[in-house]
Amino acid sequence: MHGRIKVRTTEEEKARKEKERQEKLKVFKHAMQKILYKRKQGEQDDEQLEITGKVLSSNPDIYTLWNIRREILILFSKTKNEEEMSKIYDTELNLTEYCLKINPKSYCSWHQREWVLTSRPNPDWKKELELCNTYLKYDERNFHTWDYRRFVVSQFKPPLQEEFDFTTEKLYDNFSNYSAWHYRSKMLVELYPDVKGGRPIQDNHHKHELKMVQSAAFTDPDDTSAWFYQRWLLGAVKVTIQLVSYTVTPLKTTLAWSRKVSNNYINSNVNIYFNNQLVEGKWIPCTGLEYDDLWIFEHNQEVSDNMDIKVEHGVGDEKQIINSEKYQPCTYVGKNKIFFKNQYSQPVIEELNEQLDSCRQLLALEPDNKWTLLTTTFFLYCIDANLYHKEIMVNLETLKDLDSQRAGYYSDLISKWSIEQQLPQDYNSNSLEYKISFSQKITSLPHLNYYSYCQVVDLSNQALTSRILPTLTKLQHCKVLNLSSNKINTLDGFPDIDLEELHLEDNIELDKMEVEVFKHKHKFMKIYF
Amino acid sequence: MDDDLPTDFQVIVVGTGLVESIVAAACSRIRKNVLHLDSRDHYGGLWASHNFEGLQKFIKEITTDPSRQLQVYNLIEKWYIPKESQEVKQEGEDGKTEDGKEAKKVWSQADFASEYRKFNIDMTPKLLFARGPLVELLISSNIARYAEFRCVTRVLTWMSDKLMPVPCSRADVFATEAVSIVEKRMLMKMLTSIVGYNEEEMDNEFKDWTDKTFQEYLTHKGLTPNLIHYVLYAIAGGTNAMPCLEGVRECKKFLMSLGRYGNTPFLWPMYGSGELPQCFCRLCAVFGGVYCLNRPIDTVENKTVDDKKVVVIESKSKTLTCDHLVLGINEGPKDLLSQEHSDSSDISRAVFITNGTIMSSEKEPLTLLRFPPLNEDNNATTVLEVGPATGSCPKGLFVVYFITNKVVDAETDLMPYAQKIFDMSGGEQTEASDKPKCLWSLFYNVKDTSATVRDGVEGVHVCAGPDAGLDFDRAVHQAEEIFKKICPGEEFLPRAPDPEEIVFEDDVTHGPEFQGEQEDADGDKE
Repeated sequence: MHGRIKVRTTEEEKARKEKERQEKLKVFKHAMQKILYKRKQGEQDDEQLEITGKVLSSNPDIYTLWNIRREILILFSKTKNEEEMSKIYDTELNLTEYCLKINPKSYCSWHQREWVLTSRPNPDWKKELELCNTYLKYDERNFHTWDYRRFVVSQFKPPLQEEFDFTTEKLYDNFSNYSAWHYRSKMLVELYPDVKGGRPIQDNHHKHELKMVQSAAFTDPDDTSAWFYQRWLLGAVKVTIQLVSYTVTPLKTTLAWSRKVSNNYINSNVNIYFNNQLVEGKWIPCTGLEYDDLWIFEHNQEVSDNMDIKVEHGVGDEKQIINSEKYQPCTYVGKNKIFFKNQYSQPVIEELNEQLDSCRQLLALEPDNKWTLLTTTFFLYCIDANLYHKEIMVNLETLKDLDSQRAGYYSDLISKWSIEQQLPQDYNSNSLEYKISFSQKITSLPHLNYYSYCQVVDLSNQALTSRILPTLTKLQHCKVLNLSSNKINTLDGFPDIDLEELHLEDNIELDKMEVEVFKHKHKFMKIYF
Repeated sequence: MDDDLPTDFQVIVVGTGLVESIVAAACSRIRKNVLHLDSRDHYGGLWASHNFEGLQKFIKEITTDPSRQLQVYNLIEKWYIPKESQEVKQEGEDGKTEDGKEAKKVWSQADFASEYRKFNIDMTPKLLFARGPLVELLISSNIARYAEFRCVTRVLTWMSDKLMPVPCSRADVFATEAVSIVEKRMLMKMLTSIVGYNEEEMDNEFKDWTDKTFQEYLTHKGLTPNLIHYVLYAIAGGTNAMPCLEGVRECKKFLMSLGRYGNTPFLWPMYGSGELPQCFCRLCAVFGGVYCLNRPIDTVENKTVDDKKVVVIESKSKTLTCDHLVLGINEGPKDLLSQEHSDSSDISRAVFITNGTIMSSEKEPLTLLRFPPLNEDNNATTVLEVGPATGSCPKGLFVVYFITNKVVDAETDLMPYAQKIFDMSGGEQTEASDKPKCLWSLFYNVKDTSATVRDGVEGVHVCAGPDAGLDFDRAVHQAEEIFKKICPGEEFLPRAPDPEEIVFEDDVTHGPEFQGEQEDADGDKE
């Protein structure tokens, strides 16, 4: 009938689409064949550029073709003049831009673009930054674009303030944006380091960021990006490397550090004196890794009774001398004053206290909110772990119930923070024994390097599993180790340490056969099972 | 021309208001033979947008011949600027003030008249919820291609005697400094819980609240007065008396529309709401509907022709017949309809033209402002401010609409609200002031009526006029109801095909082989 509108049915439409698809496939196969043939023949010419360009326009992710193009461009750059090359590079940029429109997350298109810009003379960085702006407008979370932006900024060097403000703008659009928070953290320490105070961020900015991220976290507590940034901010404190203790016996000399240090660091910042004589020697990391928090010092000096042993540690003029005490005949231990408190500035502490107040108010309204409780707990820990220890422990126990999927994480926190409470007391006594002195059963063994001087380590009646075994390598001076009544189910991973006695009783999942084999291997060790 | 008009139709629609136009489009779309008439020379009836000259014509008609437009009354137009511009001191300077900013233009009535075409002033300003029924209908029917929209950029409210932005989206709540951190959490929690309720959960959660107010519920939930204000007055658009369940539903509707197009849940049609009926008329015409403006009808009656009951219409001494007559409330012969009119549901409206926005912002704002009632007798008042970017007025001006349910009359009801946000003094336009100057105002009342057809006349469907609500939901709903009565069992506005989906008869026979290659070659050049 005249004038009647006829519309394709879905079946017809499907058939038409399928036909189109087949056509496309045919063209694609033909083009790919030709490209590979030409490459085999070594034909690196304009035609090859044209065909690869066409195929890439609809399939930007065939990285082989980008590689072929780069080969050709490199070849061209040797023969063609600057003007010609400039045109070719422009075309290449246009092609990548076209491909990125099709797939804004195409790794190889972004990479090709980066390559062109680093290869060509006088790249237009400003234009590239604008390109980033455009793509981040389309998708503010495209990490490819953020990555590329970092590259452009590293070359173009625009005022960092502008970059910082850009993250502010993007976060106000949508704060569920790991990339933006991350980039912000990088800008923050670049722009506002507290050089005088030795802190990573100036007080007022640290405060401002804490405020901003709390606002995000309380707007949507289920969005994890804000919490991660908050955790980073809480950890952005002055870092000091401390020699926490050292042990010298005729058998072995070890030094324990508050954080992992390198061989280089020790070599240039540590001096060991026996009876005021500088001792030369070699440093071996306890775990064998490049950075370690427990180093073994190999030297040829004899260690006899009633020696005067001291260690000097410090960077530059700030030297500290740690004297040792004789704990047993021929056994010397030097202990430093230790602390686990984050060193915040007073204004930041005030801000943290304010935020703690808000958290407590919220907690009164919704006592079962996991994020509120966890944040409250972190604030308590960061403000004064000592003072709030009891409350922190109660909160973590509650969190285990509220958020049972992460119960193990909370148990590990309990272990760590309880041990941090016990450690300073142990460092005030002259005992060579380590025994857990609190009621919670530990599930992990943090800070074990601090106890490297101990000869008797009683870890019985805890909730330790076999995953802690490799850590035991920190017990370099241990003679008697008690692991009875734990949850050890295999001895796989047990480190090579010279024990006299090992207690493994009441680990019900531990296989008898395995213990026999272990006994066989460690003939000089008394093993109780 | 009149002689060319066919006389037999399946459906005749009289009036080009939104409801009538949707029905016309829906009938035409499923191949009904449709004639669409309007007694006036423009589309839209009371749903229309007028330029300034058209608006003056409308005002003149009401003041000189009230019987022509029975729905509108209490109309008062006022000028706050001189008739002619006093161009003495302005000339000579280069139009800039000392601080380099462009000087505020001094407007005269003559300027309005000469720029009349740049105005599009709505008789029925309304917003579309981004996920509301009209947006969904425009998309599903593919009529959206005839329309353009702008996002409302902000929602404001009147709190503690000043204008305050309402944090309504996640991004707003994050950015605002007006509420404390604890309030942020409370607000987000309330909003997300409301969005989360399905009907069943809602019945459950609110079973004890059926006879209580929304305000009582929010108070019970521990929200601070601050937050209650945002949720009750600005998001739900309610009053203290708003029933709890209604409040929850209004909130949910608001929240569900967030995050689709902009930072607020609302869209505003470019060039005014009067564009919308025309979009539907265009679809109707594309599918063969016949249009005739300036064509009032005189009588309507039933007759039986060939054993079939038909509606017979006399119009300009021509007899038209149809199976169904769809009639705008303002278009029918007076004796045909019995209006069910109650004074309480009338609408008070006001339009202001000002020389600046009520609250400055970086980019040109498009604002929804929700006033809580200023005193106990009043109703909540809705304010819409639109600027030049919407095609509503020339650069430098804003058009501001006020809507509320009538209590006394439009001016008495709305003037107190206007005075809060405008400088109504008529003083120097250039003088610095924290409020924009009102240059022109118009107050009027509109009846919100439905009507039934006189007993004994069948096949006639009456469409109500515009309502006081913020959205178009009632109109869409009514149009669908009428369509279902006319065409039971038929699909309501199925998707209209795009041009490229249409198959032409000669499409089947392919041209000679070389043409195909020719096309490919052309494609390559691009």
